[in-house]
Amino acid sequence: MRKIFRKLFNLIIFLSVFHLTIDAQNQYTGYNSMVNRIRALSDKYPKACSVRSLIKTEGGKEIWLITIGSGKMDSKPGIVIAGGVEGRHILGRELALGMASSLLKESSSVEVKELLDKITFYILPDLSPDASEQFFSEMKYERTGNARATDEDHDFVTDEDGFEDLNKDGLITLVRVEDPAGKFIKSSEDDRIMAEADLSKGQSGKYLVFSEGIDNDKDGNFNEDGPGGVDFNRNFTFNYESFGPESGMYPVSEPETRAAADFLFDRYNVYAVLTFGPQDNLGEPLKSASGGEKNGIIKSILKEDEALNKLLSDKYHEITGMTGAPPSTKRKGDFFEWAYFHYGRYSFSTPGWWFSAEKDKNDEVAFLKYAEKNGKGDAFIPWTPVIHPDFPGKKAEVGGIKPFILTNPLADSLDVIIMRNYNFIKAVASMHPELEFLDINVENQGEGIQRISLKLHNSGIFATSPKIGEENMWTRVMRITAETSDGQSIISGQKVQKVERLEGNQSAEFSWLISGKGSVKITAGALNTGTVSTTIELR
Amino acid sequence: MKKIFSTAVILVFSLLLPVVLMAQNEEMFYRAAGSPENPKIQTSWNKYYTNQGIADLCKKLVKAYPGLVTMETAGKSYQGRDIIVLTITDRQTGKPEQKPGFWIDGNIHSVELQGSEMALYTAWYLCEMYNDNAFIKQLLKDKTFYIAPTINPDAREYFTSVGLPPRSGLVPTDNDRDGLFDEDGFDDLNNDKNINQMRRKNPHGDYKVDPKNPRRLIHVEPGEKGEYEFLGPEGIDNDGDGLVNEDGPGGYDGNRDWGFNWQPEYIQGGAGKYPFSLPENNAVRDFVMKHRNITGAQSFHNYGGMILRGPSLKEGGAEIYTDEDEEVINSIGKKGELILPGYKLLTLWKDLYPVFGGELDWWYGAMGCFVYSNELWNSYLMFYDTTKNDPYEFDKLLLFEDAFIPWQKVSHPVYGEIEVGGFGKNFGRLHPGFMLETDAHRNAAFCIYNAFQSPKLEITDVKVRKIPGGLQEVTATIENTRMLPTHSGNNLKFKIDPPDYISLEGGTVIAGMIVEDKDNNINREQKKNPGRLEIRNIPGYSHVDVKWIVKGSGNYAIKAESVKGGVTSFKVL
Repeated sequence: MRKIFRKLFNLIIFLSVFHLTIDAQNQYTGYNSMVNRIRALSDKYPKACSVRSLIKTEGGKEIWLITIGSGKMDSKPGIVIAGGVEGRHILGRELALGMASSLLKESSSVEVKELLDKITFYILPDLSPDASEQFFSEMKYERTGNARATDEDHDFVTDEDGFEDLNKDGLITLVRVEDPAGKFIKSSEDDRIMAEADLSKGQSGKYLVFSEGIDNDKDGNFNEDGPGGVDFNRNFTFNYESFGPESGMYPVSEPETRAAADFLFDRYNVYAVLTFGPQDNLGEPLKSASGGEKNGIIKSILKEDEALNKLLSDKYHEITGMTGAPPSTKRKGDFFEWAYFHYGRYSFSTPGWWFSAEKDKNDEVAFLKYAEKNGKGDAFIPWTPVIHPDFPGKKAEVGGIKPFILTNPLADSLDVIIMRNYNFIKAVASMHPELEFLDINVENQGEGIQRISLKLHNSGIFATSPKIGEENMWTRVMRITAETSDGQSIISGQKVQKVERLEGNQSAEFSWLISGKGSVKITAGALNTGTVSTTIELR
Repeated sequence: MKKIFSTAVILVFSLLLPVVLMAQNEEMFYRAAGSPENPKIQTSWNKYYTNQGIADLCKKLVKAYPGLVTMETAGKSYQGRDIIVLTITDRQTGKPEQKPGFWIDGNIHSVELQGSEMALYTAWYLCEMYNDNAFIKQLLKDKTFYIAPTINPDAREYFTSVGLPPRSGLVPTDNDRDGLFDEDGFDDLNNDKNINQMRRKNPHGDYKVDPKNPRRLIHVEPGEKGEYEFLGPEGIDNDGDGLVNEDGPGGYDGNRDWGFNWQPEYIQGGAGKYPFSLPENNAVRDFVMKHRNITGAQSFHNYGGMILRGPSLKEGGAEIYTDEDEEVINSIGKKGELILPGYKLLTLWKDLYPVFGGELDWWYGAMGCFVYSNELWNSYLMFYDTTKNDPYEFDKLLLFEDAFIPWQKVSHPVYGEIEVGGFGKNFGRLHPGFMLETDAHRNAAFCIYNAFQSPKLEITDVKVRKIPGGLQEVTATIENTRMLPTHSGNNLKFKIDPPDYISLEGGTVIAGMIVEDKDNNINREQKKNPGRLEIRNIPGYSHVDVKWIVKGSGNYAIKAESVKGGVTSFKVL
């Protein structure tokens, strides 16, 4: 009996592993499956990738890192791909994982092999695993907080009033209660959607509307302090909101936030961060709005960095075919803006998918129309009566748009979405900064003195660092050094010089006046640009 | 011969022993007002303590006053040294964490050494005066002091042993962003454990020797020929990049590393990667967050003779300053000006410079505490005169040229023959020995005044009255007899600490209410849990009236519990 059981167990393991190797993806990847997928990648591609955990969260989940590249990976220009920055955007983790799988699958192809010779990918598929797991749990709701117990409503009790699944459908939607004191009415555009009554149009409210659950602590508010937590995407230093919702006790307070920040700060070779998350500067590029900054704090993209953002946005539309992006959501203390403003690197973010809404329409109404047109008719849970203990004798109903569905596509379209975004990533990665020497020249000045001159050229499209990185302590400046041989001396020119920044296709000229014969070795670069060197014989 | 030797040994020991721990023979001293005439811990306050000295003194205090002092480590520094915190209170009158607490730290900036001596003196003074002075005795019955003499022990070690450390601690930092850490710091060219100025003879230089004072160089008049040029602090270009001393040990600012109003390096020089990036500050933060009874804090710095208060930013940061808080902050600060002659109460952003991510903002903004940062020592204290403050003259007349390191010839690899000299690192920013105790006492007195003004709750005017239906009406007044409120305005706004709770035990509470107007019987009833009334705040020098309708025998206990106001109770008999 036991033997049979073991055989059966092995079969299940075999089947599940087998399942992983199937390309088509028809469901989102839960935490355990994600761990299996990551392990499977490292088993299958031991040379091209390495995986490890940065840290364990309060909820006992690991923050995984997949490093893809070749040779000395931490010494080559690096791109970070981040997913799961906000737990409710589960597509982000799927896309980040998809990038890892796709890159590795193609790692022997000429195109990707060349890329991996030159740059390194650091993929962090899920930075909010405590929160994103809510999608896979028996009670699904759009959660962003990690597992740390917090006092969201500042009543000095933690996690005392969360959601309840009143209609037992496994989804947290809305409750509406018929009540003349309510502020809501049925929307005139779609009577399933509840809209706020507009007194100026002669409307008066008929319903109370709140999220699904009861008032556990009897403070008059519903579900205002549920399990968790601190939101990874509100816990960074840029534009951090003290005492804000899910922002933590102080910036970078959470183990996963700190581990991610530490990891990134230690990687001086990283020149760009790409986030698959709710924020967006690829659908619509950012525009500089400089001038009038309070206390000199830069809060909009620098003029010098606009062009590359515009280029990447154009490329995004061109390669993915996605158009009509909704306006980006702003979030205080978010990761994507931090990566640019405080980490000083190129930073791009895209939700990776969105539905094209008609303008001037209620988002939810527009979504329901879109869902019906695209065969996703079950996006709405119809209003059904429930008995609500906080409203004895009143008519209460549960219903509404399913959680997650507005910002995460149905799983059967994941393959297509991953492929589009992967093609974009490959195109962007090939634009990395790359140094070379041009016009190396030796002029004999007579009397044993010779002048070496050359240009240091960035042949990439990306600058060696964005302009914002110039003022940043945690980016590297390039060094160009001239090492002379015994018996030689530098008459003019510096042995060590620093080069702050080279735009794409920009060069800087250097020259040294050297007395004496022998070889002179010129080395230039920094971790984020790669290093080049050349040896010049003076005869 | 042998006998003589053993006698000598006994003699040496008998000389050493009493000095180590014991109070000395009483007949030898006559008390000076306000100071312990024969303290158990014999020490003098005219020198600076090394880390070893700090730890030693702290241990001695614990040993001599076990009923008052405990010593713990809040955490480790980057190099693994303990961040020592002393907790001082009379343990017989309650747990330390149930009394209003006052925090003192020193030396966050390495070169600002004497903050530690101010803190240590306060600890020593409180202990040594406890038995002799009624005020101090009552203070330690009511309050708890948390004293961290140095929250930057690594750089203190560097200062007291090696040379001149940076303002920061010693976490390696790549200040010039070239990929090398701490590769080009000061160099002690003449091996005197001081980093002085370098000067070189140069007929094109802008300086000449002061004819009245040969130790000093003065600027030449326009058109006049100079003799010397200055070449900056002692050092060489260690990494050959054409810059001298541009990336020394550490090289950041521990006081720009706090998790409130934080901004990065390009806005706030010295900020790290993110707030609380330094282990020393992490240790302090964790300690403070676990000791919410702390109502006020003092952080010692140097120099300039300032009692600094917030806000640190023009228009403020994420915190608020209410009118009530302003009154408290200014009132205590002004008293400080009296206690500390030569010190001025100043607002950080306006009178000094704006600070992002400073410790002061974190205390006030994030923790809801009242806090001052004293900049110790200023030139006024040399001759008690704002117009006469020549350090050369002071050094000559009062220190007998002990503070000055005479110019000495040194051969420099790049500059050739130069001279190194100037005032030593123990002068300028630091108190000269003979003035250390005076200023330590005055600053301790300021801290004591601050701690004294933290809330003190008293339950008064308790009355029990029979009312119809076999019930009793219990009324009481809860007074805060000191200046600080139980909650600052900022604390109230952001709900940093729970409200104060006034509870009645020993009966069944039918109704409970806060009395808003006694005469007209206007009350605010608390429907939920009426036996434990929630009071948002009890302001300084004010009171709240409460009333319960109770079913019971009359043997009640009324208890006031306040995170920052302490715990007190009253038994109705």
